[in-house]
Amino acid sequence: MTENVIFLAFIAALCTVDIIGFGQFMICRPIFCAPLIGFFMDDIGTALWIGMIVEMIWIDAVPMGVALPVDISSISILSTFWVCKYFMSLYEAAIWGLILAIPFAYLYRWIDIWGRNFNIKIMYWVEKGIQNGKDGRINLGIALGLFFFVSRAFLFYIFAMIIGGWIYANIYLQFSELILEGFKKAWYLLPVSGFGMVMHNFRNIKTPFLRH
Amino acid sequence: MIKIYFKMFMRTFFIQTLWNYERMQNIGFLFILKPFLYKIYLNKDKRKKALLRHTGYFNTHPYMANVIVAIIANIEKKIVEEGSSNEKISDINAIKSVMEGPLAAIGDSFFGGTLRPLAALISISMLIFLKTSDSWFGAYNVLIPLLFIFLYNVVHISVRCRLMFVGFIFDRESIVRLLRFNFKLLWKMGNVGKFIIPIVTLFLYLKVFGFGPAANNILPKTTVNIVFIYGVILVLSIFVSRKFSPTFLFYGTILTCIIMSI
Repeated sequence: MTENVIFLAFIAALCTVDIIGFGQFMICRPIFCAPLIGFFMDDIGTALWIGMIVEMIWIDAVPMGVALPVDISSISILSTFWVCKYFMSLYEAAIWGLILAIPFAYLYRWIDIWGRNFNIKIMYWVEKGIQNGKDGRINLGIALGLFFFVSRAFLFYIFAMIIGGWIYANIYLQFSELILEGFKKAWYLLPVSGFGMVMHNFRNIKTPFLRH
Repeated sequence: MIKIYFKMFMRTFFIQTLWNYERMQNIGFLFILKPFLYKIYLNKDKRKKALLRHTGYFNTHPYMANVIVAIIANIEKKIVEEGSSNEKISDINAIKSVMEGPLAAIGDSFFGGTLRPLAALISISMLIFLKTSDSWFGAYNVLIPLLFIFLYNVVHISVRCRLMFVGFIFDRESIVRLLRFNFKLLWKMGNVGKFIIPIVTLFLYLKVFGFGPAANNILPKTTVNIVFIYGVILVLSIFVSRKFSPTFLFYGTILTCIIMSI
């Protein structure tokens, strides 16, 4: 339907905001955001499969307090975007998209940490405002936090979709048949590894507080 | 007052917007409480003191924070009605610090560890089921992500609502009431479901797909299925430590597939 990078980067940024910025309705999870991008790019089938793989393999990747895992929304969004734009419905290309999206997801994690540190400055600005009787800074601080979150996610996606896309397409064309055959197998085997990860996750979930 | 409660509830969705490494959810907590403090404190100086009281460290699970917000709001109301005392003010900090840890643990294991994976697995089961027929998949694929969002948020939003309601009505007793029923039962349900659904989904997956090209090239289909499935599951769920890297698993699987292609 559309390949407009600005529009898709904005949609991707809105999905990413859900991680901590607003709501936590889980629209940031790969099982939702990958098909959403796939829907806009007219290949929901491949996008759903990508979403399923990422969702299962990184099933326990949720930001909890100071623990910040790799950003799985960007893995699923970027790989879906690249495969739909350059090699529509090609399974091998989708796997290469996932491989390349992981370093970008680590880059986003670093940006996110920087953003959370920047929030300290806004927090002090709000606190100073309250001390001086400017209570409006509480609302303004929240609005600023949200604005910076969306802005940095938007700029990241613009950069990753364009620069990453160029790297993605050019390297993919250099792969030998052997590697592409391996990627094709991975398309079917990765969900199985994902099931293993799901079982591993469930086995390790403990609620000691409630066990009495 | 119901309007104020509703406003507070809507603001709980922003609790982590200004999350920071120094005092975490403090401004988010203050943002939720602000309309309530404006309603009960008509004196500007007292209100300023009340607002500054809540700029300290606060961090819990974002959904579970609602009950703490409600209890703290009740204490603030008592301070206005009965007059401020050191005991009540220290109560605010004590309740925050005592409740945030256990509630975060419950929230993380219930929502992050049980509800979300279960909702995702149900959607994945639907995806695999629809894949058996191209016409079904073409017609209903949009429903798969929507099903996940629906299943998760029906529970999530109702729990958030209930926690706030219980906090306002029962005050400090609300924790005892919550533990008596809700989470214990849901946790047990999750415990049963979380082992059944992956197994059902796994078999459904095998029935529909097998292992594609991997099965034809190396070994007979069934052998590869059994070895790989039990290999991955046994290794991951029994022998691997809790801090296992999914990124390592991802790259490891791809590397295995490339080696299998040689």
